[in-house]
Amino acid sequence: MNRLFNLMRRASAPAPQVGQTPADVVHRENKWRLLRYRPRAEGIAHATPVLMVPSLINRHYVLDLMPGKSFAEWMVEQGFDTYIIDWGTPTDEDRYLSFDEICDRYLARALRVSTRFAKTEQAHVLGYCLGGTLAAIHAAVRPERIATLTALAAPIRFEDDGLLSAWTRARGFDVEAVVGGFGNVPWQLMQGAFHLLRPTMTLSKAVSVIDRAWDDAFLDGFFAIETWGNDNVSFPGECYKKYIVELWQEDALIKDALTLSGKPVRLKNIDCPVFAITFEHDNIVPHESARVLLDRVRSRDKTHLHLAGGHVGAVVSKKAKTTLWPQLAEYWAARDGDRSAKKSGKAAKPGKAAKAAKLAEPGKPAKAARTGKKRGLAPPKHAKVRSDS
Amino acid sequence: MNPWELYKKYFNVWESATAQYMEHWLKSPLILEPAGAMLSASMKFKAEADKKAASFWGNIGLPTKQDQERALHKLNQLESKLLDLEEKLAEYEAK
Repeated sequence: MNRLFNLMRRASAPAPQVGQTPADVVHRENKWRLLRYRPRAEGIAHATPVLMVPSLINRHYVLDLMPGKSFAEWMVEQGFDTYIIDWGTPTDEDRYLSFDEICDRYLARALRVSTRFAKTEQAHVLGYCLGGTLAAIHAAVRPERIATLTALAAPIRFEDDGLLSAWTRARGFDVEAVVGGFGNVPWQLMQGAFHLLRPTMTLSKAVSVIDRAWDDAFLDGFFAIETWGNDNVSFPGECYKKYIVELWQEDALIKDALTLSGKPVRLKNIDCPVFAITFEHDNIVPHESARVLLDRVRSRDKTHLHLAGGHVGAVVSKKAKTTLWPQLAEYWAARDGDRSAKKSGKAAKPGKAAKAAKLAEPGKPAKAARTGKKRGLAPPKHAKVRSDS
Repeated sequence: MNPWELYKKYFNVWESATAQYMEHWLKSPLILEPAGAMLSASMKFKAEADKKAASFWGNIGLPTKQDQERALHKLNQLESKLLDLEEKLAEYEAK
């Protein structure tokens, strides 16, 4: 009974506050923005900034869910200079926005702006889900500004025995017609497809909520994830065509048949440290489809971390704070750029520090090679900053 | 075992079996092909209707929705190119 009373009380409570970590808009272009989370008061402890690239389909604040359950907030607490791309909401004219514009031009700009702010040559790039695919494609063509590439549940091989693979290859599914009719592919269509991946999930969630209705902390997290899960964005039409035809139907990325702005995309061109993270119960990106990145890149420094959990839960749950997040932080700290090189105007050399650190066994976080000192927080001269807290 | 725990136990068994059964059918060409064809056909119909409406507005000399979308997209592309130039200028200034 208490559970039901608690649930009824929650029904009239205001919606959970999501994406609360204070951030400044450091760049704005078309609908997307680059946010820089405000560094902690003690200053930044790591020379190389971290750029987070979320999926195009969902909102960026999954990585900044709510106070106490926010990866971004936690990263700031660890002393990282943290940036995230907010892809924004495409409007009707963005039906002509191409995959190449997003993956090449926009991502390159986000890297340039974040490294300029951080006064480094390179940034650690974390791509989540489709964001990881975009980051890997970008890294294969424009590796210059990428210190390390972290692919978090990012599909690389699209032909698998999953439902999404079967649906996109179904005879009768005409992508041209869908984009021609809709313009931007509506989020309702994509959300419907994701619900169909496990149609009984809604009932399962209802049972879980009733079962743990006494637990306010659980309910806070649950409603925050639900808020995020129901706040989707439509997919730019032209971009969707390439995404479905070349990535899903032709599996062109793994076959080295993809091009980005006319340049061939070869995963073997990636030689920076690569970290692939996969989840055992991920029903959106089967773990083998994501892990295969490590087989294709040329990097010597390759790390695979396989964790229990699903596509979203394993990244934002309370458990992630003690499993996934510390391993990410230690991975980046161990490969932090050389501060003295940066001060003298040379490129930071990620990877050097990594040699000094023992690392890479999944489940056994390594010791960070160095943490660095505090440094100034002033943005570059011509930078435009807007508050977005 | 209390009734709620018992219910949960049977619910989990049912949920898992139902999900597997539905996954099987949702992968089946018997479902996928007609569903894909229906979606494509309705989209082709919508695109054709939009085209007819656009030609009506075009005939009386007014820009269509797609004309405006194309123009706006070009403006966005122009903005990106200006930002490229600004970045290059800033680089030269810094040197």
